[in-house]
Amino acid sequence: MPIILLALFNIITQYKLRHITLKRLQHQFALWLIILVVLICSFPVYNLLSGNPVFDSSEFSLFDIFQTTAIVVIIYALNRQRQKIEQNEITIRDLHQELSIKMSQEGFKK
Amino acid sequence: MNNKLKVCIVIPAYNEAEVIKDIVKDINDAMKKTAYSYEVVVVNDGSKDNTSTQAKKGGAKLINHILNSGAGGATATGLSYANQNGFDFAVTMDADGQHLSRDVIRGLDTAKQQGNDLLIGSRLVDNKGMSRVKILGNKGLSLITFALFGVNVTDSQSGLRVFSKQALQGLRWKTSGYEFCSEMLWRAKQLKLNIAEYPITAVYTEYSKSKGQNNWNAINIVKSLVRRRLIEAFE
Repeated sequence: MPIILLALFNIITQYKLRHITLKRLQHQFALWLIILVVLICSFPVYNLLSGNPVFDSSEFSLFDIFQTTAIVVIIYALNRQRQKIEQNEITIRDLHQELSIKMSQEGFKK
Repeated sequence: MNNKLKVCIVIPAYNEAEVIKDIVKDINDAMKKTAYSYEVVVVNDGSKDNTSTQAKKGGAKLINHILNSGAGGATATGLSYANQNGFDFAVTMDADGQHLSRDVIRGLDTAKQQGNDLLIGSRLVDNKGMSRVKILGNKGLSLITFALFGVNVTDSQSGLRVFSKQALQGLRWKTSGYEFCSEMLWRAKQLKLNIAEYPITAVYTEYSKSKGQNNWNAINIVKSLVRRRLIEAFE
């Protein structure tokens, strides 16, 4: 719970500092709220599902909760890295484009 | 004061030394007879043959890409040049000779009259000379473009496109391969640009047939477009 609250606080700070867009804030907020709901509702959900043999398993251990959270965080981190790589690709492409135009324009003048 | 509309003809080219000189000459000759003030710009996308020498011989201004960036990258460079130099319109055409200069001029006249921001020359209104496999591939890609991005055009992959000044200033895309054709339509829709089509005649020679995309490449295009659509749904 404290980790999630910290994450939510961090997201709001990033938004206030204009480091992230409103759309990104909404997505991240939704992501962490889902994790929060899963954690809070794990026992009622377990009770609900335990009647169904498909989901017949032992209740969530603390390790299970950590593992699930870790998986979500890793997916989130991977997505962040992908976005950064994509941004770098765009920067390189723009740089290449500008360089090509500038060098060619110097060639036009000669 | 010169009131002529400034037009930039952008020809992205990769290893087109065999035909590029004639294509540049042809469009130069045709544009001279019009009321437009124009420049023909060949974007040499890191060709390994002497495309750049041949394009210059034909009378084109040359932008050399240091690295091969794909059709999308080369087109973006050409349009960025047009935007930076204050052109009123830009036209992109293929370097393999499949587009006729009269269709380029007709496109410009049409875009000017109708006030279109992005006018696409559709090869599929009159698909004479196009193989059935190619027709199927192009129609399939247009259908996928509609399904993914909600842009309904008959020929989403056409290389002959006319851009208004507004389109030049706003249009940017992220993909660099042939999938940029569909992505560009999506971005144009997001910018609420006026998109239209007009019929053109595509000339298929043995050379242009050998240079065109095949349907296997269409699979890659679809993969890339689906990935792009999914990524942006979660961003």
